[in-house]
Amino acid sequence: MSRSVQLGSSPLLASKTPVWRSKLIVAAIALGFIGLIGRAAYVQVIENDFFKRQGEVRFARTLVLPANRGRILDRNGLLLASSVPAPSIWANPEDMERDPAKLRQLARLLGMSMAELEKKLQDEDKTFVWLRRQLDEPVAREILALDIKGVYSIKEYKRLYPEGEAAAHVVGFTNVEDQGQEGVELVFQKALSGKSGSRRVIKDRLGRVVEAVGEEVPPEDGQDIQLSIDSKVQFFAYQKLREAVQEHKAKAGSVVVLDAQSGEVLALANYPSYSPNKRVNLSGEQLRNRALTDTFEPGSTMKPFPVALALEKRLVRPETPIQTAPGRITITGSTITDAHPHGVLSVSEVIQKSSNVGTVKLAMQMEARELWEMYSAVGFGQKPQVPFPGVVSGRLRPYKTWRPIEQATMSYGYGISGSLFQVARAYTVFARDGEIVPATLLKTDQQVAGVRVFSADNARAVRKMLGMAAAPGGTAPKAQTIGYSVGGKTGTARKQEGKGYAGKKYRGFFVGMAPIEQPRIVVAVMIDEPGNGRYYGGEVAAPVFSTTVQQTLRLLGIQPDLSVKPQVVAEAVEESF
Amino acid sequence: MIARLSVLLMLVCVVSALVLVHSQYESRRLFMALEVERKEATRIAIENDRLQVERRAQATPLRVEQIARQQLQMRMVSPAITQYVHVPQTPQAPEVRP
Repeated sequence: MSRSVQLGSSPLLASKTPVWRSKLIVAAIALGFIGLIGRAAYVQVIENDFFKRQGEVRFARTLVLPANRGRILDRNGLLLASSVPAPSIWANPEDMERDPAKLRQLARLLGMSMAELEKKLQDEDKTFVWLRRQLDEPVAREILALDIKGVYSIKEYKRLYPEGEAAAHVVGFTNVEDQGQEGVELVFQKALSGKSGSRRVIKDRLGRVVEAVGEEVPPEDGQDIQLSIDSKVQFFAYQKLREAVQEHKAKAGSVVVLDAQSGEVLALANYPSYSPNKRVNLSGEQLRNRALTDTFEPGSTMKPFPVALALEKRLVRPETPIQTAPGRITITGSTITDAHPHGVLSVSEVIQKSSNVGTVKLAMQMEARELWEMYSAVGFGQKPQVPFPGVVSGRLRPYKTWRPIEQATMSYGYGISGSLFQVARAYTVFARDGEIVPATLLKTDQQVAGVRVFSADNARAVRKMLGMAAAPGGTAPKAQTIGYSVGGKTGTARKQEGKGYAGKKYRGFFVGMAPIEQPRIVVAVMIDEPGNGRYYGGEVAAPVFSTTVQQTLRLLGIQPDLSVKPQVVAEAVEESF
Repeated sequence: MIARLSVLLMLVCVVSALVLVHSQYESRRLFMALEVERKEATRIAIENDRLQVERRAQATPLRVEQIARQQLQMRMVSPAITQYVHVPQTPQAPEVRP
């Protein structure tokens, strides 16, 4: 028998559906649609802004685009400071995985003992602990490869200073937050740091950027700062200074090398110094940029200035004789003496032999105002126009308050003070034929206009005297160097202590220029408290000047102006064949 | 006729919608690839900086001098052991012929 369903005769179809049922369903569906339309209108029209915002919060992110800190370059474009990425490692002790084997490896990579690491992670309530900041990138990568739960890295930058301690005082350094703390890093902080940018992006569930929204604000990288420093000159100057300070058991020393024509600082070094890459236990002694921030009485290095003014005022000529016997002079009750009494000296010889009496006799013939104007014009009592933290102006009292004895002592460098930098800059007046130029730490390519202080003839005449001082018979024959003619003035000043002068504490100076006919560089050297018996500027500072001049002129590619007995084997023996 | 046209238009509409979805997907995929390359470019630029610093650190005057003195037995030049070659001043650099 066949079993079939009789579809045509289903009892369900047989019964008649009431009309209200279909109407109810249509009404219900219509209501549903009305509800949906209402909701759509609510979401898309009425509260549209709110929902849009809520959506964006969930997928749009603002990324900060960090700006790179600018580099610091020397005059030849060599790096003095640059930033490299150095990730910092941090941990969340609260939910950290504590597998002893892994922790031991971590401690080894962090360069700390297991005990140290455990101490850092001890407090389990904390949620953030720095483990080590600014690690080398490869090490950080190894740490992350250990894959310890609760250990993370943050991208940070570290400043590196390849030149090390030689240029430390000029370049300065930044702190761990990449903010300039000293030197050029501090002064040019704004230009170096740049401006970070930002961009809005949409990220997907896996955190990948899938779309950019709106305008991107690109980061403005910090500018590169090119200094006038020549890193080789800087290095040699620092090296020679360090040797001299150590040899003479001195407390400290400074050297400044200026380009005589443009006023650019080619080198500026101090000893003791520090390594900017490893700054632990730094003392103020090491940090201080003495050449710019310490003032002192320049002693005999001042003498050429009143002498030049006397020439300028036509009071004397270089060959005019001056009676310096018996080696002392009394001014309003105070006696000024010469270290070695001389007889009659010409004006040139006064500089050559560094006679206090001769200089004082010249200075007393001039008015205080004239002297004050000249001292100011060459930069004493004026803050040098170099952008540097802690630059000092030195001391030059107003001439109306000068007593006669002060006018006298100032002429040989007591009762007036300045920094080594100021003294070096003042000497450019002789190097540039009577014009003084502003000193600069930044590289300049333009011709610099100077301000005339002395006539060219008088400046040349003083230069000749300075040449004599550095020749045999002068105070500093040790300033001479092979191949180049030099000229300069020694200075040995007693150090001030409290109200008076210290008994056996001296500063030895030498300030000079080379080649003397057409000076290219001015070099100033200061050795503070030489403790080895010898303390005269001609003994302690002049040799530093000599070697610095030698190396600097060679590096600048300047031909010797003196004939040198060559030791070159010019003719090689011919090979026999 | 009208009915057929609307079916056709509906089909076109569906296809265009699918193309839109696809191109949106494609654009995000390409954007992601671009992002990856950008990151790589930044990384390489940073690596370049780092290597430059390293090269500089290897060639500081201090290191050069030490190696020159100790390993290569060199000494400082001075004018006494330098021969200066004087090039006559000519208004124009002489032509170099191969």
